[in-house]
Amino acid sequence: MEADRERDVLVPVGRSETLRRTVTYAVEHANEAAVEAGETATIHFVYPARWRSFDIGRGDADAAESLLERAIIWGREDLDELLAEDTPETVTFESAIVGTNEYIFGPSDFADVIGRYADANGLEQIVVDPSFRPGGNAPLLRSFEAELAALGFDVLEAPVTRQTRRRLPLTDIGFAEFSVIFTASILFYFALGGWHVTDPYELVTGVATASVVTLTLAGVSLKGGVPGVRAVATTLLRFGAYTPILLWEIAKANVALAYVVLHPRLPIDPRVVEFDAAVWGDMPVMTLANSITLTPGTLTVDVSRQQFVVHALIPDAEDDLMEGTLERLVRFVFYGRESARIPSPLERRDDGTDRDGEGSGPKPGGENGGPAKEDA
Amino acid sequence: MTPLEYLAAVLVIGGTFFGLVATVGLLRLPGLYARLHAASKSDTLGSVLAVAGGAVVLGVGTESLKLGFLLVFLLLTSPTAAHAIARSGQEQGVEPAGNVDAPWIDEEEGDA
Repeated sequence: MEADRERDVLVPVGRSETLRRTVTYAVEHANEAAVEAGETATIHFVYPARWRSFDIGRGDADAAESLLERAIIWGREDLDELLAEDTPETVTFESAIVGTNEYIFGPSDFADVIGRYADANGLEQIVVDPSFRPGGNAPLLRSFEAELAALGFDVLEAPVTRQTRRRLPLTDIGFAEFSVIFTASILFYFALGGWHVTDPYELVTGVATASVVTLTLAGVSLKGGVPGVRAVATTLLRFGAYTPILLWEIAKANVALAYVVLHPRLPIDPRVVEFDAAVWGDMPVMTLANSITLTPGTLTVDVSRQQFVVHALIPDAEDDLMEGTLERLVRFVFYGRESARIPSPLERRDDGTDRDGEGSGPKPGGENGGPAKEDA
Repeated sequence: MTPLEYLAAVLVIGGTFFGLVATVGLLRLPGLYARLHAASKSDTLGSVLAVAGGAVVLGVGTESLKLGFLLVFLLLTSPTAAHAIARSGQEQGVEPAGNVDAPWIDEEEGDA
């Protein structure tokens, strides 16, 4: 019985309008298989997390847990309807949250995390919800389903009808996303034209360009969801505070580089530094990578998930990097003040907390309280 | 000359200086990655300063707004481009110059 897990089904769970029906489908499917084999089947509801086990986004974790609980309740309801009274249960339920300790980004990362859970539990069948698009559905990337299938799993798409969300005809772009990106593009067009665009020809070309931009890029830039106005406003405000610091760092970087370059003996000390940054999510990682490149003596070579490979040119650069000032600032911009307290890369390394260390939470109170003040 | 024009002149001269540093750095520094430092940092600051100088001369208006956009895009795209070059260099197994341990070199031997 242990080895025979063919009937078991994994269902990736995330916020989507058709989750309810996906659960029903998975239950029907598992029940059928269980009746056929005369043994019970198990459904695993798995939530791929986009946050990390540090103490940020506790709200996200709570939301994920309540979603998983709801999925199990729904599953039980469906099972009760399927089974006649007084028959033993054919399907059991389990739930899990995976991927909390790493930075997962594209559909392939999500598939990877889900796949590891499936392998660990010997599962082969995965029922996917067609409206659940972890990692967005950028036109250039293979979809989550295709990635799972490529990993060798038996992928079943739940037959759900998608009507709840308004989509533009022939595209995969929701109405809200379209409006946001379209408005931004047309405002940009007007700004370039000096706001007084009255010529009908220019108006028409403006609308045409904005539409093309929206149709090609909406799926990439918003990842299938429109963020809340307040969240965007706070992030922008914090970014406004970050910009002068970044500009100052850039100025320092350039003076240091000019000194090195123009010095007759060329006093460089090139080396490659690897570290795991405690930032996660595409925008924060992008910001940190670009900031590293622009600041003293360091150049981002490669980023995979949360691991940064950085080329450092001048002797002090590595120490600056390990002190984690920039990292802390980027965290402040995207997650607020408390997150700035996570220990610096150096302290994390000394603690021996590598990224495989499950459940290694933040050490309380890193040596520096204020996120923006200290400047090595 | 007005004070603003002086400011613009200082900015443009600064921009030119860092452009020069970028060029000298590109020629003098050893190896792909070190050269990219010059190409990404100094070059960005050089262009940014020159563009800012232009914006100061033009004053508040549509033209300087456009230059402002240009500044933002330069600051975003230069490091991204440098990163793209560095990353492809890494994927091709380009070794950094100098006495440097590059993790990707060992990795490749390990995988082979």
